[in-house]
Amino acid sequence: MRFLVCIKQVPDSTTRVKVAADGKAIVTDGVTWSISPYDEYAIELALEHKDQAPDTVVSIISVGGPRTKDALRQALAMGCDDATIVGGDGADTLGPLGVANALAAAATELGPDLILCGKQASDDDQGFVGPALAEALGWPHVSQVTKIAPSAAGTEIWKETDGGHEVWKAGGPVVLTVQKSAKEPRYPSLPGIMKAKKKEIPERSVAGVDDPVKMVIVALEPPPSRGGGKIFKDGDTKAHAAELATLLRDEAKVL
Amino acid sequence: MATIMSTDRTQTGSAFDLALTETQTLVQRTARDFAREKLLPIAADIDEQGRIPAPILAELASLGFMGVYVPEDQGGAGADVVSYILAAEEINRACASTGVVMSAHNSLVCDPLLRHATPEQQQRWLAPLARGDTLGCFAMTEPAAGSDAAGMKTTALKDGSGWVINGTKNFITNGASAGTCLLFAQTEPGSRYKGITAFIIDMKAAGLSVGKIERKLGIKGSDTAQLVFENVRVGDEQRLGDIGEGFKIALGTLDGGRIGIAAQAVGIARACLEDSLEYAKGRQAFGKPIAELQAIQWMLADMATEVDAARLLTWRAATLKDRNEPFSAEAAMAKLFASDIAMKAARNCVQIFGGYGYMKDYPAERHYRDAKITEIYEGTSEIMKLVIAEDLLG
Repeated sequence: MRFLVCIKQVPDSTTRVKVAADGKAIVTDGVTWSISPYDEYAIELALEHKDQAPDTVVSIISVGGPRTKDALRQALAMGCDDATIVGGDGADTLGPLGVANALAAAATELGPDLILCGKQASDDDQGFVGPALAEALGWPHVSQVTKIAPSAAGTEIWKETDGGHEVWKAGGPVVLTVQKSAKEPRYPSLPGIMKAKKKEIPERSVAGVDDPVKMVIVALEPPPSRGGGKIFKDGDTKAHAAELATLLRDEAKVL
Repeated sequence: MATIMSTDRTQTGSAFDLALTETQTLVQRTARDFAREKLLPIAADIDEQGRIPAPILAELASLGFMGVYVPEDQGGAGADVVSYILAAEEINRACASTGVVMSAHNSLVCDPLLRHATPEQQQRWLAPLARGDTLGCFAMTEPAAGSDAAGMKTTALKDGSGWVINGTKNFITNGASAGTCLLFAQTEPGSRYKGITAFIIDMKAAGLSVGKIERKLGIKGSDTAQLVFENVRVGDEQRLGDIGEGFKIALGTLDGGRIGIAAQAVGIARACLEDSLEYAKGRQAFGKPIAELQAIQWMLADMATEVDAARLLTWRAATLKDRNEPFSAEAAMAKLFASDIAMKAARNCVQIFGGYGYMKDYPAERHYRDAKITEIYEGTSEIMKLVIAEDLLG
């Protein structure tokens, strides 16, 4: 069985993001780049299956500039089998439909049985590419996936719902967008890193990819800085509680 | 007439690239993520309980941290010494107890077996150590032989085709938890360093027992034990290197170990810097964060500068070791400087935290206690100066 996991490289969650002087981009100098967290959960789902069925092939793909190779290398070091970068001029500025089309073209050639994506990227939180990829391929799509059990008869899919989960079944190829699950993504081990070092990462070009909808960021602004907290010092506990309840209701409007 | 001597430590071909390779960056990242997510949240607990949870050591092993620069075909991860040093800094940034377990195992046991063991010995002893299946300890120090290691009293006397070992070793890191021991013993009593020979011992050997387990100021999660050898019999195939070569093996091993301890000191000093920085930005005094007070800023600036300088000395020593070039004096300089600035950073960290720095609710006092050992083990600061002076004077 062959999995294709689509990943996106994003600023690491520990990076303090700053808006650039033009107000339309972020400052990329000094940013640590990582695999988007939900994509890491997608990789983990695929690798867990590979742990049980070692003949499973887990392929990784990403669309982006040369820096994207670091994310692919990290996925290889986690234990994925091979990686492809879809790069070249314009790979960085492709719109989300263009990314989905580029992935669909690559997927058609790679011929996976299952495609996994994170449910959304942690940078723009759009959640667009996964479903769009399914649409471009003409495959079904299941979202909020936390567990899978592939077999010859099809794939059982656990989909998170409000307060529980549903079990779906796909008889053929399917695109799954993955939610955070109980099993934390594994760290790349040192032996894994050394193995990944020896692997070539072939590059496909984005040239000729249909990118019908261009998106332009009009403005970015940082969230307002947090105001100082209020500390109740004088008076008794009862008075504090009453005052707190009033403030939570009338000022913070959370009650 | 004054002459210009070449006491600078740069020679043709000895400059190094400060950029890490892709592989080194990935190793650093795995170590950093593991340290931040798994170790840091329990570091205070490890210190308080005096032990490291078994699953943590198991995960360190499965990630490849117990044989970082042992080649893959010998059970290790096959990375380099620089990668090892990067990982050591990250692990020690979170927990110096875990750091020393890893350091003693990699530097003091895997390293000499890699350099001196026969292929058969490597198969039998090094591979399980490098995979992390078992823990290693290095037994040289004795109750009356610390810095003066050549004065050791433990003997290994020839008995038929094998050896019989008697004596007591002290302050042995991992002594109570190790499965394999690298032992140094006198095979020609009275001959000091000329008669010292190294042996690889199974900790389950008959006659070998763990004596007193020490109660320490810091690095409390790692065990430090006395080992008692009473007529322990080992075959000659457990001798590491030649008869009488033990002292040389030990000194070469400690040279490498010092790079690991320097990295530990850098990790502790960085913990002091990062914790101080966070605290100083949040703590208010005189109507503003104390980070806005120049007295605090100067301490932070010194810490940042010294952490960087210590790290660069450490990276240089590691790079020289990777290149198989002499690194003994450079390792001593790295350890001397890094341990010194770790103590200074810890002192200032407690100071910045003020009264809270003295309390166990905050990490400052742990850094303060953990930092001190880096000036002592694997050669005291005074011994480091002897090594450096000897190199200067030729």
